[in-house]
Amino acid sequence: MADQGLRIADLHCNVAGNEILKGIDLMVEPGKVHALMGPNGSGKSTLAFSLTGHPQYQVTKGTVALDGTDLLELAPDKRARAGLFLSFQYPAAIPGVKVANFLHAARQAERPGDLPPAKFRALLLEKMDLLGMDPSFMGRYLNDGFSGGEKKRLEMLQLAVLAPKYAVLDETDSGLDVDALKAVGECIAALRASDEGRNTGFLIITHYPRILQHVAPDVVHVMIDGRIVKTGDADLAHRIEREGYDGIREEIGAIA
Amino acid sequence: MLSATAVRTPLHDALGASDAALLPPEDRARALDAFLTTPSGRQKPSRFWRIDLDTIAPDARAIAPNAVAVDIQNASPRIVACDLITAAREHAPLLRRAFGTSGAGTTKFGALARAFAGTGAFVYVPHDADAAEPIVITYTIAENSAAFPYTVVLAERGARATVLERFAGGRDAFVCAAVEAVTEEGSDLHCAAHQSLDAGARWFSTRTARPGRNARFAWTSAEAGAGLAVLDLTVAIAQPGIDAGITSLFFPTGNQHVDVVSTVDHAVGDSTSHTHVKSAATGAGQARYLGTIRIAPHAQGSDASLRDDALLLSKRAHIDSVPALEIGANDVKAYHGATVGALDEEQIFYLESRGIERAAAERTIALGFFEPAIDRFPTEALREELRAALASKLA
Ligand SMILES: Nc1ncnc2c1ncn2[C@@H]1O[C@H](COP(=O)(O)OP(=O)(O)O)[C@@H](O)[C@H]1O
Ligand SMILES: [Mg+2]
Repeated sequence: MADQGLRIADLHCNVAGNEILKGIDLMVEPGKVHALMGPNGSGKSTLAFSLTGHPQYQVTKGTVALDGTDLLELAPDKRARAGLFLSFQYPAAIPGVKVANFLHAARQAERPGDLPPAKFRALLLEKMDLLGMDPSFMGRYLNDGFSGGEKKRLEMLQLAVLAPKYAVLDETDSGLDVDALKAVGECIAALRASDEGRNTGFLIITHYPRILQHVAPDVVHVMIDGRIVKTGDADLAHRIEREGYDGIREEIGAIA
Repeated sequence: MLSATAVRTPLHDALGASDAALLPPEDRARALDAFLTTPSGRQKPSRFWRIDLDTIAPDARAIAPNAVAVDIQNASPRIVACDLITAAREHAPLLRRAFGTSGAGTTKFGALARAFAGTGAFVYVPHDADAAEPIVITYTIAENSAAFPYTVVLAERGARATVLERFAGGRDAFVCAAVEAVTEEGSDLHCAAHQSLDAGARWFSTRTARPGRNARFAWTSAEAGAGLAVLDLTVAIAQPGIDAGITSLFFPTGNQHVDVVSTVDHAVGDSTSHTHVKSAATGAGQARYLGTIRIAPHAQGSDASLRDDALLLSKRAHIDSVPALEIGANDVKAYHGATVGALDEEQIFYLESRGIERAAAERTIALGFFEPAIDRFPTEALREELRAALASKLA
């Protein structure tokens, strides 16, 4: 289809009355991996929340389409059912809601009745094994008392179980040790190798290129102060690893 | 008090039909006078709360012996579980060790329950007996009646049991219930109740416990039904080494009014108590909670906690929550924590971002809010019953 892709055009977004995104243009194609890099406070999470429809993030201008569907028209749950997934930088804890029940409800909401309970359970156990998660996770309350690493693994488990059309991973790598990072990389690779996840497009948000050693990006964007100031290939990530963001700031400063 | 000069009322005439072997007429008259003259200790009606608990009384014409049906299930041969009238005839010395000894009769509605006590249940757990299965008492209340279900539990030294009460029916009924739980050294007694009366019922429940030395004791109480629910949960700690728990959950919806008072009275030191209250309100539901922890001046080494969380789900709903910690001793631990608030938008958004509709997300979070309290109730069957009752209130 001609209009495939997660297409973001001239997106402006206000938070608490301040314009944080100042015109974002970006397209993630099915099956491709885009990295979005940028220093803290540049607006990366704001982009993630404006795509998923967080009520505090007011889109003032621009369009977002998912395989031709206008996302900005839709409530957050409908965006998810259209195939958009966000791995939260700081996932909410919900006491009293068991992980197993939640995962089942989410899968049911996004893919109603597609798997009998036994198969769903087998899928969960397989993915948990891949992520190095103990089955006892299933009986715990959602993110309640979880360590940072446990929260991130649970986000990845949801990614694996929901196999969305497009996944935005917001700083999934931050706070992970080497082993956890490797497990996350393997989880994403397994999803991309599966029938369900072959065409999943990724927008991997990070301010540190570590995760990109595990998931090779097709395209790298750099965001500074609410704008994408540079787009390139994997070499751009390597450059940031060597120079930090200062080199790029100087470069765009020189142009401006 | 006015006992000698109290005005004779139609309620006094209605006493005549009550069982004299269980309680002699003069004791019943004294209890009725106490009901009529004792203040409720509850707040007066206000902008939100529209019912005056000082003047409320049953209609004497509604008092009838068939107002309550009781069903008692007990699988343990060593344990006596029978109706109260039978107990008064066949187990009078045992019954006397508990009936009227817990202090239930000193409150306004506890006195009323005593005055008309008749249909009820008596549970006797002899020393070191261990009830493998809960003793289940089901009270079904006739419509338009005034009903006084009364439960007495006596647990001897080292005895272990769970007593589970259910209250159902009661359309347009006035139901005034009491439970007295008296336990001995080293016993472990858990008394749970699920009240799911008709929305037209008015419900008063006085639950008073007097645990023995080194005993474990727990009240767990869920108020799902009744248009008006007035609950008194009390543990009187008069021995050291007690581990006592109170769990109360309530969720007024529609026009329901719920008024809960919990009291833990540490008269003696070196005992522990923990009170957990979870409440929510929606529609025009009203709730008032007063949680009292009293530690007497000489009750050193007491350890008491009170945790009270309230969730407001609509603009007209109202929950008024008051902790009252009266700490007379210095070498004690006393903790109080409370929250009151609406559903958390970040939690809702998190579930929505996983494809779950907002209304379902709200229901899921509200049910989750109750879950730690539900977890304290005995038997998975009861817990499922409570989840279903709460879910239907959220639908
Ligand atoms: N909920 C919010 N309330 C107020 N300001 C916010 C909120 N979210 C983000 N911001 C502001 O928007 C800017 C970009 O933040 P963010 O998108 O979180 O950046 P990044 O993810 O790149 O670190 C920051 O200045 C931040 O303070
Ligand atoms: Mg961020």
